[in-house]
Amino acid sequence: MAFFREGDLGDAFAPFAALREHLGYVPAIYRAQSLLPGLIEAEHRLAISIVFRESALARVQKERLLLVLAAANGSAYNAVSHYQMLSLLGEAEERLNQLVYDFRSAGLPAEEVSLMEFATRLVLNGPAILRKDVADLVAQGLAGETILETVLLAGWAAFLATLSAGTGASPDFEPVEMPPGAVFVPEAAASEESADSGLPHLEAPELSPDAFAPFASLRDHFGFVPNVFRAQASSPEAIAAEVEAIRLVLLAEDHLSRIQKERILLAVSAANRNTYFVAVHSEVAGILGMDPEEADRLAVEYRDSGLAASEIALLDFAMKLAQEPGRIGAQGVARLRDHGFTEEQILEAVAMTALTNFLNMVQFGLGAVPDFPPRRVFPRISTKVANLSALKARPTNEVGTADPDSAVVARVQKGDHEAFEELINRHSRRVYRTLVGILGSPEEARDAMQDTFLKAFRHLGDFSGRSKFSTWLVSIASNTGIQLLRERKHVQSLDDDAAEENGGFRPPQIRAWDEDPEQLYSRAETRTLVENCVKRLPSKYRVVLMLRDIEQLSVEEAAEALGLGVPALKSRHLRGRMMLREALTPHFAARAAGGRA
Amino acid sequence: MISCADFMAAIGDYLDGEVAEGVRAQLEAHLSHCSNCQVVYDSAKKTIRVLTDSGSFDLPEAAAKPITERIMARIRAQGRA
Repeated sequence: MAFFREGDLGDAFAPFAALREHLGYVPAIYRAQSLLPGLIEAEHRLAISIVFRESALARVQKERLLLVLAAANGSAYNAVSHYQMLSLLGEAEERLNQLVYDFRSAGLPAEEVSLMEFATRLVLNGPAILRKDVADLVAQGLAGETILETVLLAGWAAFLATLSAGTGASPDFEPVEMPPGAVFVPEAAASEESADSGLPHLEAPELSPDAFAPFASLRDHFGFVPNVFRAQASSPEAIAAEVEAIRLVLLAEDHLSRIQKERILLAVSAANRNTYFVAVHSEVAGILGMDPEEADRLAVEYRDSGLAASEIALLDFAMKLAQEPGRIGAQGVARLRDHGFTEEQILEAVAMTALTNFLNMVQFGLGAVPDFPPRRVFPRISTKVANLSALKARPTNEVGTADPDSAVVARVQKGDHEAFEELINRHSRRVYRTLVGILGSPEEARDAMQDTFLKAFRHLGDFSGRSKFSTWLVSIASNTGIQLLRERKHVQSLDDDAAEENGGFRPPQIRAWDEDPEQLYSRAETRTLVENCVKRLPSKYRVVLMLRDIEQLSVEEAAEALGLGVPALKSRHLRGRMMLREALTPHFAARAAGGRA
Repeated sequence: MISCADFMAAIGDYLDGEVAEGVRAQLEAHLSHCSNCQVVYDSAKKTIRVLTDSGSFDLPEAAAKPITERIMARIRAQGRA
């Protein structure tokens, strides 16, 4: 069930007629917005310029990429629709499944795999994309246009994931079984690039506003042509569609005001750690009569900025939709209705959030340089996100703590293979727990340890020290475990996860715990109890509990090692803790004290 | 005044002591009059304590040693090859 009333736009509504012709049906994601036909028009134009239009990438390549990205985003609605489209285009089912689980195994040309890897990293951790990543693609012989299209597709995938979650559109086809957090996630590039080069990642031709109407329109509205659009100059069609989307989604003041939309853009961009958009739109807010300094502060601290409660709720909604689209649910929409927002206003907030995610992603991929000096620079590598209301940017020159393993690693890299034993001794527990976390079985984890360490040894030459050695090692353990899980096809546990995912999170057990739970059982008994309950958790939660609560990794380290964003990691962590709490409550509840007797 | 849903939305960061001062005050104010959230928060805190202190899934030295030896044997064999 979609969250919004579906109006009847009639057969003559041009975007619907065109979609029927392109796809054979009108996707639910568009029908769910029929209250605001302008939004549908804007989105359809984007779809034409990015997906349907003949261009450097073939349609089937684009759909493959979109399927891979929908899986990475955990967006079931979009995975199903791209899966279906690829079937229609003649792609074999086996390959479709490979694309969902691990695109490297799908037998595609190396260049296409590289593009998928790049785009996956872009959607999962945009700020970490470096100029070098794009240069590597160019070095592989990929044309600038192809790379630009890939970036636009990544933006489009983010847009669709946000929009489908925010409208509550139900899949248009039978659902495809989605791997619960077990999709292959490429590791961050091992590269040093501390200082900004001050250049965009890709070269773009000069387009003059006098000769190109969309640029003239941007100049009229903002007073300048933002660099994020200049960076796309080799695809005028895409720019034209984006400018149209900006006109219809951001500039139109049909339901939400322009200021409300700018606030959404600022808060969501800050949550995405997009330095560019926070810098540029703080200035844009200045044009609208807001103090740019204030706008910049609002981007990260809107909860403490004196806004009305309803305005804060609107931003909370947008932030949650942007960061954890899978968890927005009908309640999120209901909450805004309670605050007095109309259906149309909420729908506009959804579209504005989706557009922000799109633009943020395009900027990350192209590395467009801020048009104004940023007041704050968000770190590239995810850092502690205090919480939704208190997200703080940190100075970029903050250096991580020194890696205690670096000396030993260097010795092994120089050929002293015996020194590797020291690394095993230091980290075997952590590797073991990571593997138990994923596999759920101590026996299997022991077997997988050998594989993990041998892989680490073989690839130690590639380890550049960009992350800590222990984090790097845990990510190898995690990939090894996931690979094993997949090979064994733990159908049962995958189903469990899917079912759990639909249920949403609510804390049902309201039974107080004993004042001193540690005194109820012996240490050995407690340990067995805890181990048995932890083993029964779905692996995606179990592994996070293992790394955070038992191994005491920081949020950032755990997120990096598992290839997750900080918000996803935190949400799994909380979910895992709450599930464990649920499982332990019967044993530790206040009255259970007698249970021991 | 924040609702139970607001409290639950922030409980993860609150458990990790990662909320801003103003937010913390709001959460504590909520806890002081909401017994349900109090129970959830208290038991979640204890869950973490029990889990963290349980020493669960430890790999005993005796179990680790043969694994380490096997790995090193493979590495030495590769070195000679």
